[in-house]
Amino acid sequence: MSDSYIELSNITVKRSGRIILNVDNFKAASSGEFINLIGTNGAGKTTLLCVCCGLIKPSTGTVKINGIDLASLGSWQKVDIRKAIGYVPQAAEYNAELPFTVREVAAMGRTSAKPMCAALNREDYEIIDSWLETLELTNQKNQTFRSLSGGERQKVLIARAMAQKPKVLMLDEPGANLDFKWKRRILDCIEKLHQRTAITILLISHDIDFLPHNADRTVLMHDGRILADGKVKEIFESDVFRKVYGCKFKVSDSGGRYTPVF
Amino acid sequence: MDPFFYLVILAGAIAGASTGLLGVYIVGMRMPFIGTCISHAAMAGSIFAVLLGQDPMTGAIAASVLASLSLGANRPHKSRVETNVGLAIIFSLMLGLTFLGIGLIQDARTEVLGLMWGSILFVRKESVVVIAAMAIILIIFTMIFNKELKLLMFSRSIAAATGMHDTFVYCSFLVVCGLILAVNLKTIGGLMIFSLITNPAAAAYQVCRGHRAVVITATLLGAGTAVIGFLISFYLGLPTGACIVIVSTMAFGLAVIYRRLKGILD
Repeated sequence: MSDSYIELSNITVKRSGRIILNVDNFKAASSGEFINLIGTNGAGKTTLLCVCCGLIKPSTGTVKINGIDLASLGSWQKVDIRKAIGYVPQAAEYNAELPFTVREVAAMGRTSAKPMCAALNREDYEIIDSWLETLELTNQKNQTFRSLSGGERQKVLIARAMAQKPKVLMLDEPGANLDFKWKRRILDCIEKLHQRTAITILLISHDIDFLPHNADRTVLMHDGRILADGKVKEIFESDVFRKVYGCKFKVSDSGGRYTPVF
Repeated sequence: MDPFFYLVILAGAIAGASTGLLGVYIVGMRMPFIGTCISHAAMAGSIFAVLLGQDPMTGAIAASVLASLSLGANRPHKSRVETNVGLAIIFSLMLGLTFLGIGLIQDARTEVLGLMWGSILFVRKESVVVIAAMAIILIIFTMIFNKELKLLMFSRSIAAATGMHDTFVYCSFLVVCGLILAVNLKTIGGLMIFSLITNPAAAAYQVCRGHRAVVITATLLGAGTAVIGFLISFYLGLPTGACIVIVSTMAFGLAVIYRRLKGILD
């Protein structure tokens, strides 16, 4: 058993001859590490996430999940290893127009947690309902997913991911298209989740005001590379950050919140 | 009333119910064109089977399973060919092959054209048994893979990222889809099958809440519209296929109106 749950080394990903991801070394610990991945649009954040969960096969380099090299696995086993990954995708990745109820969407978290073809039983629904309760969705559980607002949908997707009982939770821009109030709520929700469960979290965001207070590391990406990896304050005040974002910020820490100050 | 009448009604109800149920998943996965695509593959298959002196049904099944699997082999994320674009390419190829086949067949053209429009009035007992058996296979398949199919409809990315065997389930579904379309081709025809797949499911998606409600509504609507369409055509002496399509489209229209009214009343 290795102490890093995800381990990438010497990864490159090519798309139409161009290198879009070039990461020498990236690790996420299995012991509840909270990593906040930031960077501008097109920095390679989502690509990195897809490599981590095995959706994109890198051109070179090795991906290890829980100490197992993905290249050594057959395609069926490669799928099985992803059962430990909880995933909250961007809105373009799911069909929000179907009349699934909130509870049905949350129940989809049990799909890969159970063997193929096995029906969900009462135990599964207890897990699902307890996550809906944790995320304060109990009152809405019989409403349709499509009738909810963007922020509420995001909470349902988080409940869905957690119902799977993942070891790693990956969130891809959970604050995208949300107003300031909802952004804060979703961020709160993710922070509480981390405190409560101590699972490893990989959070992607290009919003620099979407900064989780209890993130252990902030990783700054640009042009497919990892430029900095450390504490949020150091990164925001670094020269590298200024090069990437074109300006420098100070991070004020008030009221249990990080706020970037221009 | 003679027994032929009831046999036709039974055939229409089974065909309508199974295409209605299938449509829930096809419309849910946003690929309604798969109906025309696979049914034209089945048509091309049966025409070439006739040309080669084989049983048309075998040719239809083989070609539609082949077309389904080639759709399954396309992974939109990797190939950059969107599913509907893939469908359009295979569909036009199959249409081309169908017409090529029609051009090559000299004597039995009417029989072949019957595949396009369907000939529910000439249904035989054996084919009702076959479509009923296939309908049961479909029901069992959707029950066994219930949770997998739901996630596949909601998001194939989530399915793939979180350890569901998405490609396996998707391809199995496409094969079942191909089989259903192939066996129903003779009764309801390659063109009409499209509306029987799309309309009941689209109507159910308008008015229902929850997956189970959608499944039940679409299946019943599919069976109901097929039977009502047949009865209208029978008593008014109109073409059967056309009547079924129109009734099924009206059902969808009513669903839209119902949803609007409900929205106003709520």
